[in-house]
Amino acid sequence: MGRFALTAFVIAFFIFMLAPILVVVVVSFTSAGYASFPIPGWSLRWFVRIWEYPPFINAMITSTVVAVLATVLSCLISIPGALYLARARAGWANVVATFLLSPLSMPMIVIGFSSLFFLTAVGIGISMTALVITHTVVCMPYVLRTVIAVYRSVPPPYEEAAAILGANPLRTFIEVTLPLIRPGIAAGSLFSFLTSFDNLPVSFFFASAQTSTLPVVMLSYIENQFDPSIAALSTLQLALALVCLILADRLYGIKKMTVAA
Amino acid sequence: MSLAPSSAPARMPGWLLILPALLFLVAFFVLPLIDNSLRSFEVGGEFSLGRYIQLLTDTFYLGVIVETVVLSTAVTVICALIGYPVAYYLVRHAGRWSGLIVFLLIAPLLTSIIMRTYGWQVLFARRGLVNTLLVQDLGILERPLQLLNTPGIAIAALVHVLVPFMVLSIATVLQGIDQRLEEGAQMLGASRWRTFLEVTLPLSADGIGTGAILVFMIANGSFVTLVLLGGGFQTLPLFIYQQFTTTRDFGMASTMSTILLVIAMTCLYLQLRLVRRAGV
Repeated sequence: MGRFALTAFVIAFFIFMLAPILVVVVVSFTSAGYASFPIPGWSLRWFVRIWEYPPFINAMITSTVVAVLATVLSCLISIPGALYLARARAGWANVVATFLLSPLSMPMIVIGFSSLFFLTAVGIGISMTALVITHTVVCMPYVLRTVIAVYRSVPPPYEEAAAILGANPLRTFIEVTLPLIRPGIAAGSLFSFLTSFDNLPVSFFFASAQTSTLPVVMLSYIENQFDPSIAALSTLQLALALVCLILADRLYGIKKMTVAA
Repeated sequence: MSLAPSSAPARMPGWLLILPALLFLVAFFVLPLIDNSLRSFEVGGEFSLGRYIQLLTDTFYLGVIVETVVLSTAVTVICALIGYPVAYYLVRHAGRWSGLIVFLLIAPLLTSIIMRTYGWQVLFARRGLVNTLLVQDLGILERPLQLLNTPGIAIAALVHVLVPFMVLSIATVLQGIDQRLEEGAQMLGASRWRTFLEVTLPLSADGIGTGAILVFMIANGSFVTLVLLGGGFQTLPLFIYQQFTTTRDFGMASTMSTILLVIAMTCLYLQLRLVRRAGV
């Protein structure tokens, strides 16, 4: 009896979790000119509409560029640090790691608001550079965290062997360390890319004709209009995330990645 | 202990490797936050506690702070109440379904916040699914209910975003509980319910704690849900958003940001203590 009630509760829970998402996926294929559910008929017109509405396409390009650059920058600055911190035992290293992960715990709206004033004051202002910098602040911890976790499981003798056999540090890094930590970099980059692509509370403050990201454009669109094109965009975005996840799973195995997460 | 000692003995100390990340965050994370806090203490070019005094004495501002904390607390409690049974099921009963359950928990995290609020709007609009069901199909109601812009839907939407974090935190801890302790209690004559209340629940308290801090922390900073779904809440992040878009009182927004930051840092501190105690 108790078991039955528990199962029923869990099923109800997942209906609650999935309903708002599935409804949007269905609405994105509606033939109607308004968003309602159930839909009167199926069509792809709202996907066509996205394609024909320049602000969406421009924002998609902006978001992709920012997400790629922020992810690359995140990797460049956090991988070296992760390699050190993964094997450091000193107490201060723990403090540093906590600090480097702390952007995850701070309210993003505060990071965005503060960065806008600060970056304007130092002359970077509202620009792609500013977007990439602030996105890197919130994305970097993901790469750091996953690379630390993966590198911890790499036994030091591999690298020591390479060094003994005469490889210099750079060669050891490129030929031994890098292949070993690649799953961590892949997982971290994936989280970083998706976090950046979906970010609203930071991007919001840096919106201009050239720097509006997709979520910002979607927010301002949804505040004025309620047509199904937002549903179509959301469905595309979800599909992108799922494809990334499946791809990463195929390449590196989801187990390795979730352990790292 | 890093790459350095064995591979590059004299040339480069290993800790230099953390400098890129460290310097980047100091420059573009710490400095902006300090700059922002300083601005909150500055009125007409001079140092002043004026805004903080106003904040803590004016009932409107004080109300905003209280409402933020109360709303986040309510969302956290609801997440714990809903999340615990799900985590329990996942760890104890799901069996071969556990992979699917974890996937279903993580999948919503891949969807954008806009997608989810949009979903809620479609479901609960005046001519939305729920109203159509209640009025036309089941005939329970005479006319559609005003569901959007009510506190209930806004809270439900927040819970929807945050409850997976709670489930995963609790499940992690539940997984580590030695089931022999529960069996022992039952052998000694405790009922299932009593075993749960006196053995399982206390042992999983750390999981609830970790989840609660995480949920509280994220709830405190969320505003997109409240911007789009209304509900009549006045919270710190919503206030910062409005100060920025309409009122443009940046000094007050800085002050509010600083308060929000202090709350977040307190949560981070509690989180670290809890993690350290759990020995993770």
